[in-house]
Amino acid sequence: MSKKRKISLSEEELVAALRNREKIAIEALYDMYSASLYGVISRIIIDTPTAEDVLQETFVKIWHSFSSYSTEKGRLFTWMVNIARNLAIDKLRSKDFKNQNKNQELENNVTFIDEQINTVYKPELLGVKDLVETLKPDQKVIIELVYFKGFTHVEAADELGIPLGTIKTRLRMAIQQLRKHFN
Amino acid sequence: MEDIKAYIESGILELYVLGDVSPEEKLQVEAMALNHPVIKAELDEIERSMEQYAGLNAVEPAEQLRSRVLGSILTNLADDRTFDEVIDKPKDNVVAFASPKTNNFYKYAFAACLALLLASVVGLVSMYNKLQDSNNTIAALQTDKQHFANTVSFKEGELEVLRDASFKFLKLQGTAKSPQSNLTVAWSPVKKKVWIDLKSLQVPDNDKEHQYQLWALVAGKPVDLGVFDKTSDTTDMKEMKSIASADAFAVTLEPRGGSASPTMDQMVVIGKF
Repeated sequence: MSKKRKISLSEEELVAALRNREKIAIEALYDMYSASLYGVISRIIIDTPTAEDVLQETFVKIWHSFSSYSTEKGRLFTWMVNIARNLAIDKLRSKDFKNQNKNQELENNVTFIDEQINTVYKPELLGVKDLVETLKPDQKVIIELVYFKGFTHVEAADELGIPLGTIKTRLRMAIQQLRKHFN
Repeated sequence: MEDIKAYIESGILELYVLGDVSPEEKLQVEAMALNHPVIKAELDEIERSMEQYAGLNAVEPAEQLRSRVLGSILTNLADDRTFDEVIDKPKDNVVAFASPKTNNFYKYAFAACLALLLASVVGLVSMYNKLQDSNNTIAALQTDKQHFANTVSFKEGELEVLRDASFKFLKLQGTAKSPQSNLTVAWSPVKKKVWIDLKSLQVPDNDKEHQYQLWALVAGKPVDLGVFDKTSDTTDMKEMKSIASADAFAVTLEPRGGSASPTMDQMVVIGKF
């Protein structure tokens, strides 16, 4: 399995193949997006078996509800990452999962995120270090909370003790910074 | 244009991409993107940068997770696609029982054939025997029939002689050598036929070397009219050789087969018209 070449298609081809319910489509979808989606899921759910369950649920849901996706509403990844994030948050907030005490208390998140972003990033991902330096710490925290942790901006404002307007402005500035970096 | 710029700068588009908007805000953003290409382009930029950011923060899941995730999806996919075939399978199970039945049938058929063959042979032999009996009976009956037919036609000939007015009857009387003897001769000069009545024949029995011979005397010369035997069971009339005219008839005893001329001292009967 590890030697097998990963399947990669253009987004148009992939969407068409998924509409036709082709076997190759779900394989390509997994090879192209599983790591990015798992990156989001594993930051919300620390427990690896649970995070893997959520990744599986995410792909099953993508496959079964694909008819509700439309290219006019945006990019495929945006649609998929929202499914992944919502499933992960639902799992995090479910009664069963809370009883396991494997999740982080929300109150400790900020310091945890700071530790995580500095220690977990992979050295092979070139440019991450530059990127970390690109984002100011206050921008990075908001991105982490909202994008990777599934906080709403209202919750983030509450969490950080910052007015809503400021949260919105900082979030926009952070994303502007990313755009500048990627271009 | 100012409104659109303010809309972009409000940060709502970023929240939309992050899925952090109310359903009403979501519809509003989608409507704005549809009407304003600038907003659509801005959204696309935000989406791409977040996607790349996610790519940079990607975490490769465990190797075995790939087959587990694909398996859970493709198993259901396979189930959906094979559903029709499963329905057909029970139909195939019905066929198997025919062969033992066929075997029994041929056994019984062979036995029946043998029995029929035996019965036919027995029947044929018996029929052949009956047919032989019938053929023998038919042959015997045909012989009888022939005999009766001969007898009838002979009797008709005799009756004809009696009925025919042209026949003359002459009683030949015994000679001195044999005074007791006599013979009745019937002769028709018209039809040139001569019969003798063997029933009326009164002569001594002839032995095997001799036969009696009938003669006609025509202008004083004897003419041979054939030979005959005197036996105890001779009761019928006998037709002799034909002759057109005759003065007298006589019978002599001659060697078997007859003689060219009569032996006069062996004459037993004679009669004249």
